Amino acid sequence: MTQWNTISDTMSGMVRDARGENSDVPVEAPVPTAPPRRGAATPLVSVRDVSFAYPNGVLAVTNVNFDVHPKGITSIVGPSGCGKSTLLRLISGLGVPTSGEVLRDESLNRDSAVTMVFQTDTLFPWLTVEHNTEVYARFLPMKQRRAEAAARRQRTEHLLEMVGLSKFAKAFPYQLSGGMRRRLAFVSAVASSPRLLLLDEPFASVDEPTRIQIHQDILRIIREQEMTVVLVTHDLAEAISLSDTVLILTRGPGSVFKEHPIEFGIERDVLTLRQGQEYLGLYGELWEELALQIKLSKEQND
Amino acid sequence: MTELGTPAPVVSTVPTAAEREAGKARRRKQRQLQEKRLPTWKVRVWQLALLAAILSFWQWVPTIHAARQVVSALDPFFISSPSLIVKTLRELFTGHGEPSVWSYVWTTLRATIFGCLIGIVTGIAMGLLLSTDVRFRQVLNPFINALNAAPKIALIPIVIIILGPSGAASIVVSVMIVFFMVFFNAYMGGRSVPPEMLQNARLMGASSFAAMYQIRLRYVLVWTFASLPNAVTYALLGVVTAEILGGGEGLGQLIVQAIGQVDANLTFAVVVLLSIIGVALVSATELLRGKVLHWWPGGASE
Repeated sequence: MTQWNTISDTMSGMVRDARGENSDVPVEAPVPTAPPRRGAATPLVSVRDVSFAYPNGVLAVTNVNFDVHPKGITSIVGPSGCGKSTLLRLISGLGVPTSGEVLRDESLNRDSAVTMVFQTDTLFPWLTVEHNTEVYARFLPMKQRRAEAAARRQRTEHLLEMVGLSKFAKAFPYQLSGGMRRRLAFVSAVASSPRLLLLDEPFASVDEPTRIQIHQDILRIIREQEMTVVLVTHDLAEAISLSDTVLILTRGPGSVFKEHPIEFGIERDVLTLRQGQEYLGLYGELWEELALQIKLSKEQND
Repeated sequence: MTELGTPAPVVSTVPTAAEREAGKARRRKQRQLQEKRLPTWKVRVWQLALLAAILSFWQWVPTIHAARQVVSALDPFFISSPSLIVKTLRELFTGHGEPSVWSYVWTTLRATIFGCLIGIVTGIAMGLLLSTDVRFRQVLNPFINALNAAPKIALIPIVIIILGPSGAASIVVSVMIVFFMVFFNAYMGGRSVPPEMLQNARLMGASSFAAMYQIRLRYVLVWTFASLPNAVTYALLGVVTAEILGGGEGLGQLIVQAIGQVDANLTFAVVVLLSIIGVALVSATELLRGKVLHWWPGGASE
């Protein structure tokens, strides 16, 4: 039986209304929007009735339920401001839910078991590409760091080769293009062989052709390393191309509107996949749901 | 492909007058858009020409009787002349006719360098600590703001009263000036670390100390090195002011002697010496910055 590590819900009574009433009234009993999937595999992360409010009382997400299954890629899409990134932070442990709980498999407790590619640049500007790739090692105990040096170097070379950065191993981040920097951020996050990789709109700043190229590269690495991935994106095409499951969130405060299994299989070519009728049909179906949420969000903001 | 019997069109490689005009206009436009920069040799020629013009004006205009009649301050008794300054400098360095300048230079230089080193190290340490720990910041902020607002030059007499007219007083004055310049830059540098970078490090298992040493210190150094040329210049100013006011040994004291003897040649010679020392110190910090911050696009000096 899996041991769970709970990100507590001790502040459950302090949730404040998103519309500004600063009452300390407990939030109404959550209505499960999407019950955890009962699959064969035990989920690596289980998000149960999670709500999160910022210190100013604004509710970011409410009553969110979903599971993240091992070796799967789960994408979260939704209108702007629906709390996608917040959810990712709660899963990572960088935030604590105001109510509800994020249950994480105990294997995620070791250092670098969960890594994240942020929207913004987190590369170390004073380190070369190869040193940025293995930057996690700088936080290891010295003994372990020395013992694993040779294997780490080999892995770094392999990863850089896979994303086409071998020639730039000695370059500094400022000498790279935007797409290369994003590739480097990705390999830097996967170099420590995390069990769970969180991607927070990692390729939003990259142009479409480069993005598709990166998709192909990262998909290969994810499958090769058998990682579990949660991807937050505003790009529905990206979500469908890469994922096994797509979660559509409602307008903010977000909750799961619908969960879609994507059955394109493990081996897929992103470029050809996007030309298939099956993909186009699925895109149309999901876009309809997403567009509805975007419309509602716009009405709410107006 | 041309049809049978139809002669192939002759493509002329000689540009027409209209094309030449268009080319000229395009190049003109490109030149306008580009930043207007001179080649290095032209810069040096212009700089030498300007220096020669200033020195010639200084050397020859006071010899014109009519000019001295109009502006009495043009008398070499008051403003010396380049040739007299060079003569005085030669005498200062060889010790003929004037006191040997080496011990004065060494005293001023030593106080400036020691003051800078102590001020830089303490400024960096304090800036790093306060940017890292919010509790220190909360407690110490008003004190630091009050001390920074106090004009440091007004504190020089107090330092001289406490320490007497000595090299120690000059060093303390220099430390006071450099510390605050470096501290505020170091503090801002420490605060400028992107939060995502620290969160990323936390996910990789970085302790607070490791994050401070591996990440925040680098940002502190970038901002500190940006302030160093100014800090060094002001350190020299502080030392000379302390020497003038306190009567300790050093080039400031030599200026006091020169003023006492109404010796414009010696005064200007010391000013030239101080300028050379200042430029040398600033160049050394620029060189150091280029070496230490080679990874930072703005690190290398122009």
